[in-house]
Amino acid sequence: MKKITLKLFRYNPEMDKKPYYDTFKLEAEPTDRVLDLMEKVKGYEDGTLSFRRSCAHGVCGSCAMRINGQNMLACKTLVQDLKTNKITVEPILGLPVLKDMIVDMEPFFINYKSVMPYFVNNSPEPSQERLQSIEEQERFDDTAKCILCGACTTSCPSFWSNDEYVGPAAIVNAHRFIFDSRDEGAAERLQILNDQFGVYRCRTIFNCTVACPREIEITKAIGEVKKAIVTGSLD
Amino acid sequence: MALNRKVGFLTGLGYKGGGPMWAWVLHRASGLAMVLFVGLHIFAGFLSQQFGSDLGITINQIYTNWIFQIVVFFLVIFHAVNGLRVVILDLIPALLEYQREMIWLEWLIIAPLYTLVLFVIIKNLLGL
Repeated sequence: MKKITLKLFRYNPEMDKKPYYDTFKLEAEPTDRVLDLMEKVKGYEDGTLSFRRSCAHGVCGSCAMRINGQNMLACKTLVQDLKTNKITVEPILGLPVLKDMIVDMEPFFINYKSVMPYFVNNSPEPSQERLQSIEEQERFDDTAKCILCGACTTSCPSFWSNDEYVGPAAIVNAHRFIFDSRDEGAAERLQILNDQFGVYRCRTIFNCTVACPREIEITKAIGEVKKAIVTGSLD
Repeated sequence: MALNRKVGFLTGLGYKGGGPMWAWVLHRASGLAMVLFVGLHIFAGFLSQQFGSDLGITINQIYTNWIFQIVVFFLVIFHAVNGLRVVILDLIPALLEYQREMIWLEWLIIAPLYTLVLFVIIKNLLGL
C-alpha cells in the first residue's frame, strides 16, 4: 500500500465565490486507478465531491480530468503510472466549470455537431451492405476510435484562447467520415473546416496527440484534413 | 453560476504538454523577441539619422552588446529551425508520426549552428 496525498479542485457555484483545493490522505495500491481514489473520497470522506464517471473502463469518455497537470481519463490512470505520491486532480481546461470536476460540455458538442459527424450517402440504397476493402477501412481506422472525452480539445492552447475553434475532437470526427470511401459528404465537411475557425487554427502543438487516451494520432489526422483541403484530393 | 472558461497565461503554461508544447511556446516568444529586436534597430536608426541623437547611439550599444547578441542569435536560430520543422510537418502529414524524433533532429541542427555563433562572438570579444 502507498500513502497518497490527493489534492482536489473544488468549486460549488451555490456556496463558493472562488475555487479552492481540498487535500485528502489515502492509502492506495499501486494498481488502483485515480478514479478509485476519487470514489473512495466521495464514498467515505466527502459525499459532495462531484465528478463524471460511467463505464470506468476507458470506453465512455466521461472521466477526462487534468491529473498532475495533464489531461487523462481517471479510469485509465493507475497510481503507479504517475510516479509520485502526490496527485492533483483538476477539471479539464477551456470549458466552464459547473461543479468540482464537472464542466459544461455544451460548447464542445456544438463544435462537434458543426462538422457533420454522421454518415452521408444520398445514392440509392444497395440491396446488400455497402462493401469496403480492408485498405479503405484502415484509412479512417485510427480516428474511428474517438470516444469524445474532450481530453484533446481541452488540452489545445488554440481552443483555450478561442472556443469558436472547432478543436481537435471535431476534426478527428470529421476525418473519420471524410476518408470513409462509402461517405459522400467529404466536400461539404472540408468546406466547413476550411474556415478561420477550422483546421488552420491548429498550430501543430501536439498537446492533443499526447493527451488522447485512445492514442489516436490526432495531429496527423488534422494534417491529413489540411492537405485534403489544399490539394482537393483524398488520396 | 459556472466558472468562466478563460484559461489564464500561467494556468496554460502550467499544462504539462511536454517538449512539443514548449517548442511552440519558445517559438512564439522568440517571434515576439525578434519583433522587439528589429523594432529597436529601426528606432535607433531613425533617431540617429533624424536627430543625430545620443539616444540612438545608446540603443545601438544595447543591441550590439555581446550578451544581447548571444540571446538574439539563439532566438533567431531556434525560430528559423523550429519554423522549418512545423512547415515540413504541415506539408508532409505522414511525418507527423515522427514528430518527437523531429524535435531531436531540430536540436541536432541548432546545437552546432549555435556553437559556431558562440565561437565567433567569443573570438571577437577576446580580440583573437
